[in-house]
Amino acid sequence: MNNNRLFLVMQREYYAIVAKKSFIISTILVPFLVLLIGVVPVLLAQFNSSEEAETVTIIDSSGKFAQAFEDTEDYHFVYISTDRVEPVEELHERYGDSYALITIPADVAVTKKVPVYSDDALRMSLMTQIEDVLGGRLSQEKIESYGIPEFEQMVKDSHIEVDVDALTWDNEVSSTMLASVVGIVLAFIIYVFVLMFGAMIMASVVEDKTNRIVEVIVSSCRPIELMMGKIVGVALVGLTQIAIWAVLLGAGMVILSLCGLVPDTSSVVAPGMPAGVDAMPKVDSDMVKILQMVMSVNWIQLLGMFVIYFIGGYLLYAALFAGFGSAVDQQSDTAQFTTPVMMIIVFALLIGESCMENPNGQLGVWCSIIPFTSPIVMMTRLPYDVPLWQMLTSIGVLYGCAVMFTYFAARIYRNGILRYGKKVSYMEMFKWLK
Amino acid sequence: MSLIEVKDVVKRYDRHTALDHVSLNVGEGEVYGLLGPNGAGKTTLIRILNQIINQDEGEVLLDGRPLTPADVMHMGYLPEERGLYKKMKVIDQIEFIGRLKGMSKRDARSAARAWIDKLGLSEWTNKKIEALSKGMAQKVQFISTVVHRPKLLIFDEPFSGFDPVNVEQLKREILELNSEGATILFSTHNMASVEEICKEITLIDRSHAVLQGDVYSIRQRFKKNLFRITIAEPVLAPNDALYTINSLSLNMAGGCDAVVALAPGVTMRDTIAFLNERYSILGFEEILPSMHEIFIETVTKEHE
Repeated sequence: MNNNRLFLVMQREYYAIVAKKSFIISTILVPFLVLLIGVVPVLLAQFNSSEEAETVTIIDSSGKFAQAFEDTEDYHFVYISTDRVEPVEELHERYGDSYALITIPADVAVTKKVPVYSDDALRMSLMTQIEDVLGGRLSQEKIESYGIPEFEQMVKDSHIEVDVDALTWDNEVSSTMLASVVGIVLAFIIYVFVLMFGAMIMASVVEDKTNRIVEVIVSSCRPIELMMGKIVGVALVGLTQIAIWAVLLGAGMVILSLCGLVPDTSSVVAPGMPAGVDAMPKVDSDMVKILQMVMSVNWIQLLGMFVIYFIGGYLLYAALFAGFGSAVDQQSDTAQFTTPVMMIIVFALLIGESCMENPNGQLGVWCSIIPFTSPIVMMTRLPYDVPLWQMLTSIGVLYGCAVMFTYFAARIYRNGILRYGKKVSYMEMFKWLK
Repeated sequence: MSLIEVKDVVKRYDRHTALDHVSLNVGEGEVYGLLGPNGAGKTTLIRILNQIINQDEGEVLLDGRPLTPADVMHMGYLPEERGLYKKMKVIDQIEFIGRLKGMSKRDARSAARAWIDKLGLSEWTNKKIEALSKGMAQKVQFISTVVHRPKLLIFDEPFSGFDPVNVEQLKREILELNSEGATILFSTHNMASVEEICKEITLIDRSHAVLQGDVYSIRQRFKKNLFRITIAEPVLAPNDALYTINSLSLNMAGGCDAVVALAPGVTMRDTIAFLNERYSILGFEEILPSMHEIFIETVTKEHE
């Protein structure tokens, strides 16, 4: 192989794709969309809270919860004291204008049931508030009813939460949870990019054929140089895109946080949840826990393996896509060959997900050694202490197959690029390998 | 001294043999024509020379040595199916091919500029290929073929897709390159250009080389002893002892054009002497068969 020509082909390929409108648009649009997806819920939450407070009517037959409900941003409570029990139809007629009607029965302490009527499904936030307020009051009442001095404090003290500290024998805090999430995310990244880059390579190979430029090129350089140039060129395009995405996303996050629009987990996950008095220390201890979890993940191993599997998986599939691409004349004919490849990749992703449940099952072990599925499946298994021999075998098989497939793909490519007209069958392609 | 020697080359595909023991020699500095009907195997032979594909049997020598992959650096190839990167600028496109052929970036660029100026494409230098007309794109393709000054130029149907003015320009450029020392091999159906610029030809039909040699002797070989006679009188009388008249027509000057076949053993000299006494001879020339006729005759005969 002549490195100079390989470099030339690679360079041309790179600039050709980078200058494409579709590339520029997707490079800018994707981070924008991602940020949008993050920001919209925050904006929506703000939008919602700026609405006028809804009126909630309370009929308290027990007479115990007079001022228990304090108005919030979202709800304004109207308190009606009566001990008359009216049929539901009448209540609806009289209080139908309110957002909701809370009827507290006289014997609520015994039944522990509070009927709440509204036009449509009750909002989560109101439901939580009702449960918190009434539950709190009722248990306090119960505690007081025992008449034991400082009983409330005793009850509080007796409330004990136990944290499970999952330790490995080396006395490290381990968190398979986070690690496996990171694993599946990395596996997903491999899946998305292998498909995306594979499609790019295929498109580029087919384009050369439809343009008829390929005959001129192969009279100046060897087909394998052309093919490898494309594979490396597209890989560099991909890296460029990822780098730009990272920068744009980072910049976007900074700008958004300056505008105070960063998605704040507490407000997104449970909007309107009343902040308890003891929420702050709890968040702190959660933060410590999260930090411990983050530290516990073996990032170097995980990311190192990610790079190794990403490159290996990319080379393997890139060769396949290039080989198949050379066998067709038109973009529209590629489906015949891409569908099986896509199916393998999707299958790998499914296996990967099931591996989170059973990381050392037969299926998982085999699929993390078979090269077509290994880049994806192994990523999801990595957090669960994969034996070294399996890792080495898997990597060895993957790279061995990548080299072998590049060789085969080059043979198919050689024969395929000058073939026009008739659709090529798998059988014919197999003959070209000889 | 032969630049290219093709010796007994055989190329087989799945169900047919594209080249069956084809041999030919192209002398250095020659303009060599490769003729043949569609599907005869010309393109296969050209691709073998370009090392795009390999022959199954036989050998191909360049300068007396077997062809190596590095030799393509000294070849320029214009395929029948033209193609360029549509999104690339004219100058970048030519530079890219030039550099693939081993030129430095600077050389490729300056040579590209010189050619662009020469073929009158200056104002299109920085335009993308897709903005060019078909004829202009063909010129760009031609430049990409010759930009690295190859010593062997291979043109597959170079004149297809050009208008007559551009055909003339292209012919001129090809002959100029030839006079500067480049050996030229081209395949074509355009027989007029074969007579005009080729010194030697090989006619390939159904995977075999059926006719080979220099154009002059081939035409001599195929001549039918036919002559065109123009006289001032309106009628040429038959004379079976000397000639048989194949056709006779009145010309605009009131005279007559006749095509005659001389009887066996009769010389031109005798005929002219005979005619001179009876008619005013305005013209007397031997009709050599055109390459077109030879082509059709040979191919038809082969197929029978």
